[in-house]
Amino acid sequence: MRSVGVGALMAGDPLLSVRDLHVRFATERGDVNAVNGVSFDLHEGQTLAIVGESGSGKSVTAKTLMNLLPRSARVSGEVTYGGHDVRALAAAGTKHFFGVQMTMVFQDPMTSLNPVKRVGEQIAETLRYHLGRSRSEARSEAVELLDTVGVPEPARRVRQYPHELSGGLRQRVVIAMALACRPRLLIADEPTTAVDVTVQKHLLDLLDDLRRRRGMSMILITHDLGVARGRADDVAVMYAGRVVETADADTLFADMRHPYTEALLRSIPRIEDPVHHRLDPIQGRPPESIDPPEACAFAPRCAYAQSDCLNGVPELDGLLGLHRFACLHPTGTERGAAAMSANQAAGVTAAGMPVGGDR
Amino acid sequence: MARFVLRRVALLLAVLFAVTFLGFAAMNLLGDPLVNVVGVLAELDCDAIEAGTAEDTTVDAASRDCDTVAAARAEYHLDRAVPVRYGLWLGDMATGDFGTSFQNDQPVSQVIREKLPETVILLVMAQAVALGLAVPWGVLAAYRANRAFDRGSTVASFGLLSVPNFALGVVLLYLLALRWQIFPSAYESDSVSGLLFSMVLPALTLGLPLAASYQRLLRTDLITTLQEDYVHMARAKGLPPMRIMFRHALRPSLFSVVTVFGVSTGTLIGGSLVVEQIFGIPGIGREIVTAVIRDDFPVVLAIVMVVAVTFVVLNFLVDLLYSWLDPRVRAR
Ligand SMILES: Nc1ncnc2c1ncn2[C@@H]1O[C@H](COP(=O)(O)OP(=O)(O)OP(=O)(O)O)[C@@H](O)[C@H]1O
Ligand code: SF4
Ligand SMILES: [Mg+2]
Repeated sequence: MRSVGVGALMAGDPLLSVRDLHVRFATERGDVNAVNGVSFDLHEGQTLAIVGESGSGKSVTAKTLMNLLPRSARVSGEVTYGGHDVRALAAAGTKHFFGVQMTMVFQDPMTSLNPVKRVGEQIAETLRYHLGRSRSEARSEAVELLDTVGVPEPARRVRQYPHELSGGLRQRVVIAMALACRPRLLIADEPTTAVDVTVQKHLLDLLDDLRRRRGMSMILITHDLGVARGRADDVAVMYAGRVVETADADTLFADMRHPYTEALLRSIPRIEDPVHHRLDPIQGRPPESIDPPEACAFAPRCAYAQSDCLNGVPELDGLLGLHRFACLHPTGTERGAAAMSANQAAGVTAAGMPVGGDR
Repeated sequence: MARFVLRRVALLLAVLFAVTFLGFAAMNLLGDPLVNVVGVLAELDCDAIEAGTAEDTTVDAASRDCDTVAAARAEYHLDRAVPVRYGLWLGDMATGDFGTSFQNDQPVSQVIREKLPETVILLVMAQAVALGLAVPWGVLAAYRANRAFDRGSTVASFGLLSVPNFALGVVLLYLLALRWQIFPSAYESDSVSGLLFSMVLPALTLGLPLAASYQRLLRTDLITTLQEDYVHMARAKGLPPMRIMFRHALRPSLFSVVTVFGVSTGTLIGGSLVVEQIFGIPGIGREIVTAVIRDDFPVVLAIVMVVAVTFVVLNFLVDLLYSWLDPRVRAR
């Protein structure tokens, strides 16, 4: 048992680095390939948004980083934090790494607090364990933390149980709990899906503000590309366990190349839309992750799909850290435009999806 | 809280009423209670003797047989119909008069006072053995679920659960008392420590199978709890595994154990009939066996009542435990 002190990084070195991550679950129905070769870097003080539909492997990726997968998971690839192999640190039972260096908040605040412990205790316990605070020090720090995350009457709240708090307050408690030991990296897995839209925006802004003030790095996981806009430095779009497009946020929003990213963007509600504006949900459903065919996974739902899309999985082109995308007929390029007009002329894509002429 | 207690008291009264009524009815309808009290004298035709048409065969003139019969009839209200008799008997009970044992003319309250402590000690020790073993055992099995230790535990606990009490008792007696001579083989009451020490084997006999069932329940519930988000959250907070087990996962996983704890007392009392016999403990278990055989119905009814009260009180405690285990129950 030892603790890991990750000091100053060498200039240019990433805080977190993920290379060729694969995660497979052996289930009764067959192997589920939840993550298929994900790579990215995250630099100190930056935010990476991982965006994708349900089932695209976002949570599995996050749990791999935190070493939280069940034993049925088969993991390969490399995850390093400040140059240390994270899974090796976890296997060695390294103290004061998770929770202090990196930590995570989960999708659902209703279930991520222990129902039988007072919220104050749940915040204080990390302070006591990691930072050796006394009971009373930890208690008053817990009150301060709740105040920081905007919980009204924090001194009363610490003595309450989770079921006595609203969903929004609970998620604030979870955030306070995660931030207690001032972690350098926070993984936020759809931290706001379970609360209503106005609360959602408050919480995201709060997280963003705290991140800035504390110089923390963050991985923000969401299915809503709109959440990433304005909050993330980099964006990685995931589909069927793969990163299909990644770039810095400005480039991605200005110059997206992958048809899936384009479809995701069209499915975001915008404030300026008229009230009953019809959103364009992405047609079809994400593919089964058991025995996927050797083809572009998005092809059955892609308006650009050509016959070459069905022969093999497109590579994620380009250098790590630059704008990369895995598509043979990228939107906004001549190849893409040609593919689209060919499909419109035929009324159907090479994968058999009907396309209207007026899109 | 006041309403909660009131509801419990009402329940206690209802249970006592039902239990005693059934017991009373059974004891009165399944045999002639008069025979149980006065034996063959019940066959005397005292009315005829009074009327002079039959011969009084009494040997000792100082206590005429017919007087004895009349006294018994009066004490147990045997001239009345069974429901009335029950009502009168309840009245006696309410004034603290538990009646007299048919077997030896001891007041029933004295019988209970003498025998009950031994059984209470036995049952408390058995529960202590069961819980003390089951918690670490269940935690380890769940921590390494489906690995060697867990699989071994499954076999061991099914083994313990399928061995009858008397067999386990005899095996423990043979190995630990006769062969290795660690514990005494029979009940001792010379000193408190001697008494407790001699109760270890009986407590193990009753407690081990119970530990096995507690362990199964705790293991299953823990495995479910360990998949909860808040356990993942605790891991993401960097807390060490055993701290997560005991501080986060254990309490929410104790519901089934507590529920079975509440009802296990009945099973344990059943087991104590056998175990007290094997180890020669003069407790309630042995007493009820002889009382039933001799149709000593005041004693049987009193013991049945004591058991019923214990049962209701324990389940009242179990409800309090639930609300300690889960604050959401308190809100109800
Ligand atoms: N323990 C597991 N065993 C088997 N399959 C799993 C397990 N955990 C996740 N999966 C599968 O891995 C795939 C990716 O799941 P993941 O939870 O990462 O999706 P997600 O992108 O987080 O979706 P959501 O937006 O719904 O949270 C899914 O097909 C899921 O069924
Ligand atoms: S154009 Fe082809 S490669 Fe690109 S997303 Fe569509 S199907 Fe996949
Ligand atoms: Mg998820």
